[in-house]
Amino acid sequence: MKAALVSFVTLLAAVQLLPVSRSNPPEEGNPEAPAAIVRLLKRACYDCHSNETRWPWYSFIAPASWLVSRHVAEARRRLNFSEWGEYASDPDTASHKLGEIADQVASGKMAPWYYRAMHADARLNLAERQMLTRWARTSSAAMRSSD
Amino acid sequence: MLRKPTVVKALAFALGTGTILAFAAPSFADDGAMPQLRFEHGNFAPAQLSVQANKPFKVKVTNGSDAAIEFESFELHRERVVPPGETITVHMPSLAPGSYQFFDDFHHEVPKGLIVSQ
Repeated sequence: MKAALVSFVTLLAAVQLLPVSRSNPPEEGNPEAPAAIVRLLKRACYDCHSNETRWPWYSFIAPASWLVSRHVAEARRRLNFSEWGEYASDPDTASHKLGEIADQVASGKMAPWYYRAMHADARLNLAERQMLTRWARTSSAAMRSSD
Repeated sequence: MLRKPTVVKALAFALGTGTILAFAAPSFADDGAMPQLRFEHGNFAPAQLSVQANKPFKVKVTNGSDAAIEFESFELHRERVVPPGETITVHMPSLAPGSYQFFDDFHHEVPKGLIVSQ
């Protein structure tokens, strides 16, 4: 029993040495939005969907660090507010992204339940959900081209 | 006053240059033609599209299938739905030389394609 515990602790200590990516690359433009919307996005979405991630303490401890790093990388690949200028160079892509934001927020799929359970900042009340959805839908329609 | 042989030479040069430019013009137009991708029978064709590096361009994407597709590229920051039977135009930024993957996010079994910038 004692040997198993020592092995476990040794293994846990060893895995801390494995490198984990927790980078916050430079910003390349954020979406234009009213201040209240920007505040909401930064509070509830930016930790995963931007390069302004506030890395939580457990993101420095393996194996939790592996999960957090992978989650943020995947979230940034899908939608990265810090790279909004790239999306906006094709207005219909930006419009599509905004439409998806509206759908995900309105349906309560974003932020995911397991993330909301651990992060109070990511929990949106009904009024906030409606405000974000309305902004995303309006902006999406405004960006859509006639192609 | 110019001598007669000089005038003839100048006229011949102007005529020759004009002729060359007139024939060269269509090839410039061809260089500016919009690249096209077509989705049909579960594949993008061509699977690899070559474009000029460091120059913005547009790509036409046609969905020849009977289901909607989502033309997406993480590297290119593009995500567009193409309804069945429709064609869309995707604006692309100037790209550094390299390969950029695209895929159909609605059908992950569809082979991924490449835009090669060179």
